[in-house]
Amino acid sequence: MNPATLIPTPDAIPVPWGWFYILLMLTFLLHILVMNAMLGGGIIALISSFRGGEQNTLLSKEFGYKWPYTIAFAVNMGVAPLLFVQVLYGQFIYSSSILMAVWWFSIFGLLILAYYAAYIYDFKFEALGSLRIFVLEFSVLILLFVGFLFSNNMTLMLQPEKWQAYFTSGSGTLLNLSDPSLIPRYLHFVVGSVAVAGLFLALVGHYRFTKSSVDRDALISKGMGYFTYATVIQIFIGIWFLIALPKNIMMVFMGGSGYGTILLLIGIVLAFAALYFGYKQQVAMASVITLVTLVIMIFMRDLVRIAYLKPYFQLSDLTVQPEYSPMIFFLVVFAIGLALIGYMLKLAFGCRKEVTK
Amino acid sequence: MNYPVWDLTTYGGGFLIALVAVVHVLVSHFAVGGGLFLITLEKKAYKDEDAGLLDYVKKHSKFFLLVSMVFGGLTGVGIWWTIALLNPAATSSLIHTFVFGWAAEWVFFVGEIVALFIYFYTFGKMDRNNHIIVGWIYFICAWMSLFLINGIIGYMLTPGAWIETHSFWSGFFNPTFWPSLVFRTGISLTLCGVFGFVTAAFLKDDNLRQKIMRTCAVWVAIPFALMVGGGWWYFLAIPEPAKTIILEKSPEVTNYLQLLTWAMPILFIASMIMAIRLPQSFQKVFCFVIVGIALIYFGAFEFIREGGRRPFIIYDHMYSNQVYVKDVPEIQKAGFLTSSKWARHKEVTDENLMDAGRDLFKFQCSACHSVNGPLNDIVPIVQKFDTVFGMDSMLNGLGKINNYMPHFMGTREERWALANYIVHGPDIRVVQEITQQETAQKKPAH
Ligand code: HEC
Repeated sequence: MNPATLIPTPDAIPVPWGWFYILLMLTFLLHILVMNAMLGGGIIALISSFRGGEQNTLLSKEFGYKWPYTIAFAVNMGVAPLLFVQVLYGQFIYSSSILMAVWWFSIFGLLILAYYAAYIYDFKFEALGSLRIFVLEFSVLILLFVGFLFSNNMTLMLQPEKWQAYFTSGSGTLLNLSDPSLIPRYLHFVVGSVAVAGLFLALVGHYRFTKSSVDRDALISKGMGYFTYATVIQIFIGIWFLIALPKNIMMVFMGGSGYGTILLLIGIVLAFAALYFGYKQQVAMASVITLVTLVIMIFMRDLVRIAYLKPYFQLSDLTVQPEYSPMIFFLVVFAIGLALIGYMLKLAFGCRKEVTK
Repeated sequence: MNYPVWDLTTYGGGFLIALVAVVHVLVSHFAVGGGLFLITLEKKAYKDEDAGLLDYVKKHSKFFLLVSMVFGGLTGVGIWWTIALLNPAATSSLIHTFVFGWAAEWVFFVGEIVALFIYFYTFGKMDRNNHIIVGWIYFICAWMSLFLINGIIGYMLTPGAWIETHSFWSGFFNPTFWPSLVFRTGISLTLCGVFGFVTAAFLKDDNLRQKIMRTCAVWVAIPFALMVGGGWWYFLAIPEPAKTIILEKSPEVTNYLQLLTWAMPILFIASMIMAIRLPQSFQKVFCFVIVGIALIYFGAFEFIREGGRRPFIIYDHMYSNQVYVKDVPEIQKAGFLTSSKWARHKEVTDENLMDAGRDLFKFQCSACHSVNGPLNDIVPIVQKFDTVFGMDSMLNGLGKINNYMPHFMGTREERWALANYIVHGPDIRVVQEITQQETAQKKPAH
C-alpha cells in the first residue's frame, strides 16, 4: 500500500502559510525555553538532592519556588505551537496521535499529577522532610515520560510509512520505538533542558531573584557548572542524533542544502562559544549565545520535518481562502495582552522593591 | 472519511469527552466568575477594615489558584487533546476556521495566568488599589476567554449564516452567541458562591464563617436569575430541528432534560440552606454535596447541548461521524469504504464480510455508540433484530424517524456487511447460531 493514500486531506487556511510558520517558530521557542527550565530544573533539583549538603538542598528549595510557575507557563506556552502545528500539519499530527491515542490521552492526566506534586514540593518543602525526594522523583519521572511521548509523536507524524501499523491494531497503543533517531532526539531535548535550566538558575542568582537563603555565588557557579557539563554531553548527543537520521535527511546538513549546512556550522561554533563562556562563568554572554543557538536549533528541527515530509507534502500545497480580519483582530489582542502583562509585571516588581527596602 | 478512528468499543460513544468535559466545564466557569468574587470581597474587606475577611480572601485565592489554574487549565488542554483524538475532522475544521480566535484566546490565557500568579503572590504586599487592578485584569482576561470559546462552541450547534458565507465573523457571532454568553456568565458567577461554600466551611471563626456563608448564598442567588433567564433565551434561540430533538425525539436527551429540571431548583434550595446558621460539621460535608449537585446540573446541560446537535458535530456541515454533509452523495455512489482513507478493505467480499462490517461500525457508528460500554451502548438496543434481514432493513430506515442519527452511508453491499457484523459479529453478537438461509453470507471472522 502506498502510505500517501492514508494522509488526510488538509483544510484550507485563512492567510498564507508564512504567517503561521512565523508564529509557530516564535511560540515554539517560548515553549522550549520554559519547558527546559521546568524539566531540566527538576532534574537538577533531583541530582542536587541526591548529592546533599547545605547549598545543594537550598538549590533544590530555590528551584521548588520556581517550579510551579515553569509548569504553568510550559503548558501555557505549549498551547500556541500546538495550535499552529495543527494548522500547518494537522493531517499528520492528528493521524499519528490517534495511532498512539492511549499514550497521548494519558498526557494531560499525568501532567495534572506532576503539577500537584510540584506544588506539594513547593508549599510543603520543610514539612515533607525525607519524603521530599520521592515527590520530586515522582514529578520528574512523569515529566520525563511526557517528553518521551512527545518525541514519539513528533517523529511518528513525519513517517506515514509507519502508519500502516493501524491495520494490525487500532487501539492506539503504538509508539515509534523502532526509529533509530528517537532516542538521540529525545536525549537531545533532555540534556539540552539541563543546560538551559542550569543557566536559568544562574540567572536567578545573577539577578537576585532568589527567595530562599541560598548563597547567590554558589547558585551561579552550580548553575553554570550544570550548563557547561550538559553542553559537553549535548555536543556528543547532537552528533549521534545527526548520524541516526536517515541518510538523505542527514545530508541536508552536510552539504545537501546550503541553508541547512550553514545552520549546522553556526550551531557548532555557537556550542563551543557557549562552552567557553560557561567555563568562564559569564552568565550574560552564555545566555545570549544559548538563545541564539536555540533559535538555530529550532530552524534545524524544522528542516528535518520538511525533509521527512518531502515525498508527501510541502506547506505551499495548502489552499488559502483569504480572510485577513481575524488575523488583525488577533494581532491587536496580542499587542494589548503584551501591554497588560508588561503593566502587571511593573506593578509586581514595584512592590518587590518596596518590600525589600 | 479522512482520519483513522481510535478503536475504543467500551469507552466509545463519546465517553471520554463526556468525562473530561463535564469536570472541565464546572471548573472553567468557576475560573471566570471567581475573579470577580475575589475582588469584590477584597474591596469589602478593605472598606470595613475586616482582617478576618481579608484573610479568608487570601486563603480562597490559594484554593482558587490550585483549582482553577492547575485543574481547570490542564483539563482545558485535555478537552482539546480529547476531541482531536475522537473527532479529528471536526477539530481540524474548528481549528482552521477559527485559528485566530483560538490564538486570541491563548493570549488571554497567558494574561490570566500572569495576573493570577501576581495576585496570589503579592497578596498583602502590593499597594491595595494596584492589587485590585491586577484582580480586575484577571477577571477581564478570564471572561474574554469565555467570550471567545463561547463563540466557537455556539457555532457548532448553530452555525447560522456561516454555512453560506464561510466567514469567521458570521460563524463566531452565530444565532446563539449572545444568549449563551449571558447564560454562561450567569453560571460562572453562581459557581463562585458554590465554591465559596467549600473554603468558607473550613473557617474556624464561627461568626466569620456564617457571614461568608451568607455572602456566598447571595452570590448563588443573584446570578441564578441571570442564569435562568439567559438559559431560557438560549433555549428559544435554538432553531427548530435541534429543539425537537431535545424536547421529544431523543430518549437519551429527554432524560438529561429531566435531570436538569430537577437539579436546578435543588441546587438553589441547597445553597440557600447554607445561609442558615448550622453546625460546622454539617457544613463541611454539605458544601461538597452542593458541588456535586452543581456538577450534575452542568453535566446534564452539557449533555443536552451535545445531544441537541445530533446527528451533527457541526450543524448542517459535518455529521458526528466526521462525514461532511457535502460529501454524502459522492459516498452513496462510490461506497463508504472506498471513500475512507483508513478502511482496511475497500470493497465488501464474501471473505471480508465481518471485517468490513466492523470497519463500517467503527467509522459510522462508534462516535455515538459504545459496545458494552457506559454511554449509548449498541448491544441492548439491537437485541430485537435477530436476523440480518431485519437489521438490514432497520439500517435502510436509519435516521428517518430517529433523526438524531445520520442515515446509513454506503452501498447496499456495505449495509449488508454492517447488518451481518451487528447480528453475528464477535463483538455485539445478537444471534450465536447461524440460520440456514444466512450461511451463504457468513464467513469466519478474522
Ligand atoms: C449522531 C450519533 C449517532 C450515530 C452516528 C449513530 N447513532 Fe444510533 N442512536 C443514537 C442515539 C442517540 C440513539 C438513541 C439511543 C436510545 O434509545 O437510548 C440511537 C439508537 C440506535 C438504535 C435503536 C433505534 C430504535 O429506534 O430502537 C439502533 C439500532 C442504532 N442506533 C444503530 C446505529 C447504527 C448501526 C449506527 C451506524 C450506522 C448508528 N446507530 C449511528 C445516536 C447515533
